[in-house]
This record gives sequence, structure tokens and C-alpha cells, in this order.
Amino acid sequence: MNIFYIYLPVAGVEFNVLLLFVIGFCVGVLGGFFGVGGGWMITPALNIFDFHMDFAIGTGFATIFGQSIGAVKKHQKMGNIDWKLGMISIITSVIGLEIGSDVIISLEKVGEVGVIVRWCYMFLLTALGAYMFYDYFVLQQRQIKLREEENKSGTKTGQNVSRTKFSERLHRFNLPPMISFPVSGIDGVSIWIIFFIFLITGFLSGFLGVGGGFIIVPVLVYVIGLPTTIAVGTSLITVLFSGAYGCFTYAMKGRVELLASFIMLIGASIGAQVGSTAVKYIKGYGIRLLFAITIIFAALSVGTEQLYKLTMQDYFQMMAAIVLMGTTLSMSLVIILRLVMESKKEIKK
Amino acid sequence: MSMKKIITLCLLFFVLSIAYNNSFASSEVGGKQETSLNEKVGTKNLSGVNLWIVELYNNDRFMYAVVVVLVMAALGSIMAFGTDLVLKHFGINVSRISHSE
Repeated sequence: MNIFYIYLPVAGVEFNVLLLFVIGFCVGVLGGFFGVGGGWMITPALNIFDFHMDFAIGTGFATIFGQSIGAVKKHQKMGNIDWKLGMISIITSVIGLEIGSDVIISLEKVGEVGVIVRWCYMFLLTALGAYMFYDYFVLQQRQIKLREEENKSGTKTGQNVSRTKFSERLHRFNLPPMISFPVSGIDGVSIWIIFFIFLITGFLSGFLGVGGGFIIVPVLVYVIGLPTTIAVGTSLITVLFSGAYGCFTYAMKGRVELLASFIMLIGASIGAQVGSTAVKYIKGYGIRLLFAITIIFAALSVGTEQLYKLTMQDYFQMMAAIVLMGTTLSMSLVIILRLVMESKKEIKK
Repeated sequence: MSMKKIITLCLLFFVLSIAYNNSFASSEVGGKQETSLNEKVGTKNLSGVNLWIVELYNNDRFMYAVVVVLVMAALGSIMAFGTDLVLKHFGINVSRISHSE
């Protein structure tokens, strides 16, 4: 099957074109559907197939940048993007990111921080996933109760069932200046709250060395109280900008394999359109459930990688990659199947 | 926000990142030490587009970065447009949606 192998001159490796396309496609589907960049999928996937780590990161950034253009365009069409909130998130997150990376640099002077960072990352992903599972079942119960009450009384209560108690409490904090986000359905919230939240997400991105989509989407939903689809669309703005910056800065350092990015982007762009379109057919809490499952498996993968670092047993590293790629492939498949089923119903109508 | 505004914002961000990166590039290239910025890739047995990419990579890293960003942006936009047309052809048309949970 050598006909599918091409030589990638900048990275200096031979790679299977079909594999590049499939990696790109899956990253695109999940990126468009969850509003995440997908660096956590691309980097280990390329790395396991002989790409040097820094080339894997740089090439991943280039692909993420290209595919997020299409995803942003599609979500914009669906009215899923709150540009005002997105812009504030980018500006504030950058400050938090700088603080986070400074903390890492300071800690590196003291000793090995990789192990600590991975523990933190694993804990954060597990906690987020567990909370999302809990909320999924609580939210469903709340919705059922609300519907029953509405049916009994024959009136609509107007209560926002998707918003958590925590976000409602935050909205009652009235320290001026207040800011509204009409697209997200937020009438008035203290700007300091918004600044503080994105400072924390930026800090976590810098500290953990991740793009931030995984952190931003749950924060937008559970802390700020955005509808899930708007959280997904708005998070993609951050992905687009960090992707553009990452792509340029890594290319300047000679760490982007253009040919590989090009092939992956063809797959990723198609995938991003598929993933973004699927948002139309899957309800908000359905997206949350799939997101929760994905990040629990991502946490499992980080945990297995941690075991590899501690024991230096190769099979742990292989297992981490298998968990990650298995999750990516199966989640993409679930999303595509739902899209096909729901769109068939729509076409029949 | 229109697509034109997105592109304008991206360009602004891009220009800022160029300025930021150039400050690092100029300080590193002057040094004698081999860094990622002055690494070279062999051009033996290469031809066509591969040769052009590698020569650009070896000779002008800044232009290489510009080309990478532009190619990714252009391909991303073209693919998004094309895929949208294909999905429309299959009857999957995307418009403004209601945000129900």
C-alpha cells in the first residue's frame, strides 16, 4: 500500500495520506460540534506515527486555524456566535494565559513540573466530566418537572431550565459597570465577573498548555449561563484566533509541515462542516452529554500517559494513544450517525 | 458580524503576531548558535511544489510563515464554501436555529 505514502520534506518523514485525511476529518467533526480546537487529538495522533512533537503541535495549529474558519462561518449562519463576549474572552484570556505560562516557567526553575501539570489536567477533565454527567441527569429531571407543571397549569413559567444556580447567583452580583449580551440572552452581568472568569480560563490554558476550548465551553455554559449551541459557536472564536497565532508562530520557527497540514485541512474542513451542521439536530443537553463522555476519556488518556511517564513502560503510551484515537473515532461516528438520521427525517418532512 | 469583519480582525491579529514574532526572530538569527529559525532541510531528490516549499523554508522563514497562514486560510474558506454547497445539494440547509436545551 505504498502508493498512499508521501514524503513530507520539512518534517522529514513518510506518512500515509489516508491517515492524515482521517485524522483531519475526525478533528474537524469534533471541533465543529464541540467548539474545541482539537490539538489534544492531533498532537498525539501525529506524534505516535513518527512526527516529532514540535512538528505535531505546529502542524496541528495550522490545521485547526484553517478548519475553524469554516466552522465559525457555519455557526455564524446559525446565529450561534456572541461576538461581543467572544472578543472580551480573547483579550482577557491572553492576560490570564501570560500569568499561567509565567507560573509554569517559575515552577520549572524549581524542578520537574510536567507531572504536576498532568495531574492537574487529569483532575480538571475528570471533575468537569463528572459535573457535566451530574448536570445532565439533574437538568433532565428539572425539565420533566417543569413540563409537568406547565401541563398542569396550562401556562409557561418562563424559567430558564438550562441555567445553573451558580450562574444565576453570579448574575445577581451587581458591581458596576454592568454589561449585557443580547445574543446569549444575558440582560445584565457585572463586567468584573466576566473579566475574572476569562482570566481564570486563560490562566488554566497557560498553566496546562492547552488551547482552552475544553475549558471555555463548560465555563460559558455552567458559569456564565449561555445556551450550549451559543457556547460552542462563541468558543470557536477563541479557537480561530489562537489557531491563527499558533500557526504563524510555529511556522516562523519552522515547525509546520505545510503539505501535511494541507491534506489534514481538506479532511478537517469537511469534518467541521459536518460537525457544525450536526449542532442543528442535536439538542443542547445532548451535546453536553457527548462532551462529558469525550472529556472523561481524554482524562483517562492523560492518566495513562502519566503512568507511562512514571513507569517508562511503552505499553502505557500506546494505550493512551489508543484511548484517544478510539474516543475520537467513535465520537465522530456517533455525531455523523445522528446527523444522517435527523437530516433524513427533515428531508422526508 | 459579517465575514469581512472576521477577515479584518484575523488580519489585524496576524499583523500583531508578525510584529511580536519579528522581535524574537531578529534577536535569534543574529546569534551564532543553530536555532529552529536557521535550520535547513536538504533539497536532494525534491522537485515541483515540494522543492519550492523547502526552498522557501530554507531561505525565508518569514515568507514561509506568511504562505502557511494564507494557504490555510484560503483552503479553509474554499473547503467551507464547497462543503456547504454539497450539503445543500443533499437537502441539508443550515439557517438560524432556535437555541433550545
